[in-house]
This record gives sequence, structure tokens and C-alpha cells, in this order.
Amino acid sequence: MITAQTFVGLIPELLVFVLSILVLMVGVFAPRATGLVAGLAATTPLVALVGTAVLLFTRFEGSFFGGGYVVDDFALYFKLLVALSAFFAVLAAARWSGETGDAPEYFTLILSVALGSMLLVSMRDLFGIFVAIELATIPSYALVAFDRSRRESPEGGMKYLLTGMVAASILLYGIVLIYGAAGSAQLADIANTFIGRLSPVALLGLVLLVSGFAFKISAAPFHFWTPDAYQGAPTSAAAFLSVAPKAAIFAVLLRIFLEGMPGAASTWAVVAAVLAIVTMFVGNLFALRQRNVRRMLAYSSVAHSGYILVAFAALRGAGAETAVQAVLIYSAAYLLMNLGAFLVIDLVGEEAKSYNGLFRTRPGVALSMAVFMAALVGIPPLSGFWGKAWIILAGAQSGSTAAYLAVGALVINSVLSVPYYFGIIRNMAFEEPVTGAGEPKGTGAVKFSVYALAIATALFFIVVGPLATLAGNSGLL
Amino acid sequence: MITTITIFFPLVGLILMLLLKSADERTVRYSALGVAAVPLLLVTYIYFRYGGDLDASSLTQGFDWVSSLGIGYRVGLDGLGFGMFFLSALLTLIAVVASWDVRENLRQYYTILFVAELGMLGVFAAQDLILFYIFFEVTLIPMYLLVGIWGDENRRPAAIKFFIFTFFGSTVMLAGFLALGILSGPNFSIETLIGSGPLSRTAQLAVAVPILFGLLIKVPAVPLHSWLLDVYVSSPTSTNVMLSGILPKLGTYGLIKIALPLLPQGVEPFLPIIAAFGVVNIIYGAFVAFMQTDLKALVAYSSIGTLGFILLGIASGNVLGINGAVMQQVTHGLYSALLFIIVGIIAARTGTRRISELGGLAARMPWAGGLLALGALAAMGVPGLAVFVSEFMSIMGGFVAFPVQGTLAAVGILLGAMYLLHMLRRVIFGPIERPAVAETTDAGPVEMAAIVPLALLLLVLGIFPSLLINIQQPAVELVAAVIGGS
Repeated sequence: MITAQTFVGLIPELLVFVLSILVLMVGVFAPRATGLVAGLAATTPLVALVGTAVLLFTRFEGSFFGGGYVVDDFALYFKLLVALSAFFAVLAAARWSGETGDAPEYFTLILSVALGSMLLVSMRDLFGIFVAIELATIPSYALVAFDRSRRESPEGGMKYLLTGMVAASILLYGIVLIYGAAGSAQLADIANTFIGRLSPVALLGLVLLVSGFAFKISAAPFHFWTPDAYQGAPTSAAAFLSVAPKAAIFAVLLRIFLEGMPGAASTWAVVAAVLAIVTMFVGNLFALRQRNVRRMLAYSSVAHSGYILVAFAALRGAGAETAVQAVLIYSAAYLLMNLGAFLVIDLVGEEAKSYNGLFRTRPGVALSMAVFMAALVGIPPLSGFWGKAWIILAGAQSGSTAAYLAVGALVINSVLSVPYYFGIIRNMAFEEPVTGAGEPKGTGAVKFSVYALAIATALFFIVVGPLATLAGNSGLL
Repeated sequence: MITTITIFFPLVGLILMLLLKSADERTVRYSALGVAAVPLLLVTYIYFRYGGDLDASSLTQGFDWVSSLGIGYRVGLDGLGFGMFFLSALLTLIAVVASWDVRENLRQYYTILFVAELGMLGVFAAQDLILFYIFFEVTLIPMYLLVGIWGDENRRPAAIKFFIFTFFGSTVMLAGFLALGILSGPNFSIETLIGSGPLSRTAQLAVAVPILFGLLIKVPAVPLHSWLLDVYVSSPTSTNVMLSGILPKLGTYGLIKIALPLLPQGVEPFLPIIAAFGVVNIIYGAFVAFMQTDLKALVAYSSIGTLGFILLGIASGNVLGINGAVMQQVTHGLYSALLFIIVGIIAARTGTRRISELGGLAARMPWAGGLLALGALAAMGVPGLAVFVSEFMSIMGGFVAFPVQGTLAAVGILLGAMYLLHMLRRVIFGPIERPAVAETTDAGPVEMAAIVPLALLLLVLGIFPSLLINIQQPAVELVAAVIGGS
């Protein structure tokens, strides 16, 4: 039954939906008003952010549409993250998209991805989950292919589209099989099927479901689309896609495992551990070989998916609560540092060489980039450190051998990642500036975003305590 | 509160350096000097005001950080860390004085140096495992940058090798810390974790392995030392002061402050191994130092050797040995800083660090040469100088616990005397063989200002070791009691 409460719970999503259509309309009826479009598009995530924050602080909770859609602290937290990253993505794209002449379309696509991601984290029904994932994914194919001035963009978009379609069908097969085995698509009903020895149908469904999700979070060996898509995508799109939809997908994966199949924890935790170990090594080893910063960050995002998966391996026994905290903290930490690192590309360039001597020519940008790189390695007290620390904590608590192995791999991989992240710092600090470089690129809005994200990355240690408390109350456990 | 102020005062220097954008070199040098002097004054004040009672509530401070996990910002001073807390402040000041070979990007140099100082001061005052680790790592990037930007032509591979090795060690150590904290509560407060705690012997063993491994890389214990030589040799003089004076002690201090008292049962089976590591360091360091043709490399290996005495003292687990180890941390810092600075002075004036090309420096550089001799005598453990006291206590303590290792360490002293005297004979005495040496002049007033305080402290602590030992005694007794009771 749809009541007033339903509308209150859907306020953030309704706002994004209405305003994103408005952005498109303004583009149609006032094509010259680029400033108005950008302003409206930047306001949209801010409004959603405020709406979500109000719901979160008033402790709004509710379950709607026959239990298929839930608004709880956990969902609201991830909606906050999505809205925040959408804001920075729009801000960073304001100038560039205006120059392409298709700004309204670009912004609408970003906002659609945001809308899909925000709906996704509230879904408690497998088909709802599928629809929300596709709502977040289909616009992202267009986002990747949006930059017609570069050949890599449509190429990356096409690769992304083809692999994404395969992934979607695998995911759907998995969902259908689970539906067949359980007789229901609601997570609460599925839980009864995933207890004890799994039936072959349920097991196959689980495998296909996990494979589909592995595609979406670019876990190895399903990661091949990632470098091409991120390299081709406009910077703001790559930055946004590498954090927002990914965080939402991790969130819903957490919900599926904890609410839908807690009885099968011994199965999926081991699967997660194996995926995590492979993904970390593949991401880091390939990132080591990259000279192009965009591609390097793409592989780095593969590696970071692996790190988060370690938390899933620890999602059992005494470690479960800490593991949930770890996913929440890591998602926020990763959002700040990775968005920032990608946006620096717009200011400096994508060749590793263009970072040479940056500390001398542009100290502010160089320092920000150094903060992002050090945070991605996990140097304390920057944001990435807390994410990794929480994952190790969860692993130590879980008492499972698979989780211990995954944590060991995480430690080794943190060290493996040093050369490529610090390669950038080395170029910035040790090398002579390239002649001709140093002319300011990008815009004030990008610079503002980079500085804001760098400060947030550096001061993340202040919010770690409250975040951990919030995770404790998330209602998932 | 005063502890927190001391730790974070270097931030003032950082901000000041950023503000002095258009200042000339002289202003920058003097402002850095002024800022670096403040923590030292504060520590000196603490020594005279609270020396007998470091537990005083005005020195400790704490508030919750992540309350659900028992992680907090907790700082305070105790006898184990006070000497190194003092030395960190002192050596930063000395490093600022000794930064004459840094001419380019001076402001950036000092900025980075101050960040390093913050981390070092913090480590020796942290009373929380997570906070300890954070300060521990805060020193890492500054050291990497100092070597990588201002070092010699081999600096870049040396810097990254140093970073990767020690980062690997500290990440492994972090995993151990996190497991230790989460399994005992969760509780990360070092003070309340002292003793065997709630951990079973097996759990302690499992947690002790990564912690010991990480700390021993940092020391470095042979054979985990391969990162050390390149980075020592490539560094500018003032960075050497910090690298050899403070950085290894992050490892040894971690052993004394965390591994021993928090995991007594887990560490206990490893004590003979740590003692053996110590002996290997002493003997290996002496032999390899003997073969060096480069004066700086010789000092670097001599440094590895002397760190072995600290490891031996720690491993002894008795009051005598730990007392010696805690004091040796300070005395090693004093004499190795002294030697590295003098080597820097000699290299700058004669244009060479090759031992075979030097000779007869006593005639041309009586002061620098004389103090080099003093530093070398200190390194040998000659009575009357501070190193003698600490080394003697470490060996005696080690001998009581492990007779074999203790005896071998005593033999190591002879080996040390051998290569150091050999070096002195060829560098200071003998005929003048090179024109560069013949024309060289003695150390100037600035250079003397950097080395004389170190030499004086070596003398004073040699004659009055109780100045330091009285302070560290109660804390050392506590650690020894915990280990002895396991």
C-alpha cells in the first residue's frame, strides 16, 4: 500500500528523478543556457544529499512495496555517498560538457546513474535489484562513449556495452535460478533455501549471481572491460563510475549475503576470499606496468575491489559487524581518494610524464595528488588507511582461514601497489619539470573539487569514529 | 597537554616555511633553527620539571577516537621513551644546523624535516597501538622525500627501496597490532594491555610473529638490512642524522615498548633468536665495516653493528640488559650522528670519502679530526664515554640470560675496536697523500655547533649515566617484571 510515508522515504530519489528531467527539458527549450543547466545539475545531487541527510538524522525507517524496498540507515548512508560523488562529477564536468554542446544530456546520464545507484541500495527483491542495476548501468555505457573527440571513448563504450550485456544476462540467469529454487525473489524468503546443503539449482544460481556481480565490480577475472572503459570515458565519468555505482553494488551485495543467504556464509565467504585474492593480484600487477595514469587508476580500482572483497570473506562469526563497518568505511574513504585522483587528470594530464616536477610548478595540485596516492597506498592517517585497517580487523576477528589468507594477500598487495602510486609522487617530486607543461588546464570548479577532496581525504580520521558507530546501527545484523 | 604541544609544535615550522615564500636563505635557515629549538626546550623543561615523575597527569592526555573499538588518542611519556623523545628533538635541531649541504629548495627541505620530526616525537610518546602505528608511518614519506630529492646521484633507487622494505615491515606489523587489539577486547591502549592480557599463549605467539618481523626490518636486523646501506650512503648529511639516529630506534623501541610487555608469552620463545640476531648484527657489521673503502659506508655498517647490542639487551629480558638497551638507543644516536656529520664535513672539504685517499687529517683539521676520533672511541665502547655504559649493561644483561650470545657480543667489541682503529690510523694519522687534504681547513663555527653538543653529551652521559638511567629505571623494571613473570 502506498502511503505518505512511502513518498517521504522516496524523497531523495524523487528529487533526483524530477530534477534530472528538468535538466533535460531546460536543455531542449533553452539550449544556450549552459550556466543554468550546469547549476541545476549541480544542485540536484546537493538537494538529494540534504534530503538523505535529513532522513538519516531523523532516523527515518520503513519498508515499502510489500517489503521489496527498504529505507534504513545502511541504505541512506550509501545514498549519501552516491549523491556526494554525483555532485563532484557534475561540478568537474561543468566546463567540459558545456564545450561539447551536449551538457544537458551528459548531466542527465550522470543523474540517472546516481538515481539507479540510490534505488539499488534500498532494494530487497532480486528483480528490483536487477532493474536498479540496469538503471545505473545502461546510462553509463553512453557516459563512457560520450567523448567523441577521442577515439578511445566510443571504443571503450562499445567494449563496456558488450561485456556489460553479457554480465547482465548472467546476473539475470542467476536471479531466475534462485527464484526458481526459492519460489520467491524476496531476500527474506530466499534465506530459507540457502541453509545447509544447497540444492544444485540454488548453487548454480549463486555462482551465476556472484559472477554477474563480479563483472559489475570489476573483480578478476571479470575485469577486462574496466581499463578500456575508464580510459575512454570522459574524466568526470570515469571518476564517478569508479566510485558511486560500485559502492552501491557492494552495498547491495552485502544486503543479499546478509539478509538473503546468511545460512550459506561458509560458501560465499570462501568464494569472496578467492575472488579477492585473484582480483588484488591482477589489479596491482597490471597497474604496475601502466604509463598512462588513467589506465593505472583503472587497474588500481580493480585492486581496490579486491580489497573490499576481503571484507566479504570476513563477513562471518565475530567479524561480521566489523566487516560491515569495513565496507562502509572503505566505500567512503575510496570515494574521496579515487574521485580526487581521477579529477587531477583533468588538471594535469594522463601521461605519467606530465606529472614531472609538479611540486615546483604547481605545488597545490601536486600536494593534493600526493595525498590521493598515499591514501590509495594506505598510509596513515589518510582515508585509505582506515579502510584497510578495518578490513584487517574484521579478518582477524572472523576466525576463518580463508579470511586470514585474504588478509595476508592484502598486506602483500599494499606493498605491491607502492611502486605505481609512488611513481607519480616520484615524478612530481624528483623529476625536472617538462618544458611546455605547467600551463593551467581545467577549470576552477575542478580545482575546487580536487582541493576539497584532498582535504577530506587527509582529515578522514575525524569521522572514522562516528562512521563506525553508524555502521553498528545499520540494521543489517 | 605539554606532551601534545611538543609533538605537534613542528607544524608551526611547517606553516612558517610555507609562509616564508620570498624570504632569503638566511631568514629561512634562522627561522627553521628557531622552530626546531622549541621542542628541545620543551623536552628539557619536562626533564627538569617532571624528571622524577613522568606519570604526572599534566604529561598524559587521552580521549576516545573510535570508542566502539577502544582506539584513542593517548599520549604520555615514560622512562622507555623519554630518552628518544629528547633525542628526536635534539637531532632535528642538529639536522637543521647541519643542513649546509642542502642548497636547493631549502624551505621544502625544512618543511619535510619538520613532518618527520612530528612523527618521531609522536612515536615515542604514543600510548595507543593505532596512534603508535600512525606516527611510525608518518616518518616514512618525509624520509623517502628527503633522500629522494636531496641525496646523491644514486638517490632514487635507494629511496624507493628503503620505502618499500620498511613499508612492507610496518604493514605486517600493523596486521599484528590490529589482531592484538581486536582479540583483546577490543582494546588498543598500550597501558592497559600490559601483561599477558586475555590472550592465550597460542594467540600471543601468532600475533608476536608479524609484530617482531615488522620491527626487526625497521631496526634492521641482519639479514633484513639490505635496504639500509644505499639509503645511508645516498643521503645528505642532515638526513643521515635522522636516518641513523632515530629511525632504527622506532624498531627497537617498538620491541621494548610493545612486543615485550604486551606479548610476554608470545615473545618469550623468540628471545634467544633476537639475541642471536643481535650477535649476528654485531659481528657481521664489524666484518663488513672492516672491508669498506668508503668512510660513510664504514660508519653505516658500524651503526648496524652497534644496533646489535640493543637487540641483545632487549632479548635478555632482565633489568640490566633492558636498561642498557634503552640507554644504548640514545647513545647510539649521539655517536652515529656525530660520525655522519664529521664524515660529511670531511667529504665536503676534501672532495672524497675514500679511506685510501684520505690521511693525515689530524694536522689540517685538528678539531674535526679530534672529534672523529672521539666518536670512533665512543663507538668502540671506551670507558668514560656514554656508549661504554650502555653497551656494558646490554652485554652483561645478555650474558646472564644467554651466555653464548653474551660472550660472542663481547668478542664483537674487539672486532669493533679493530676496524675503527684501523680507520682512524688511515684517515686521521699517517702522511698527507692528496693535495686536497693538504689544502683543507678545519671545521668552521657552524659545523662545530652541530658536532660539539653531541660530543659533550657523550662525555656527560659517560660520566653521569644516572642522569638517564634514573629516569628509565621504573619503566624498565616493569617490563622486566612482565617478561620475568611469563
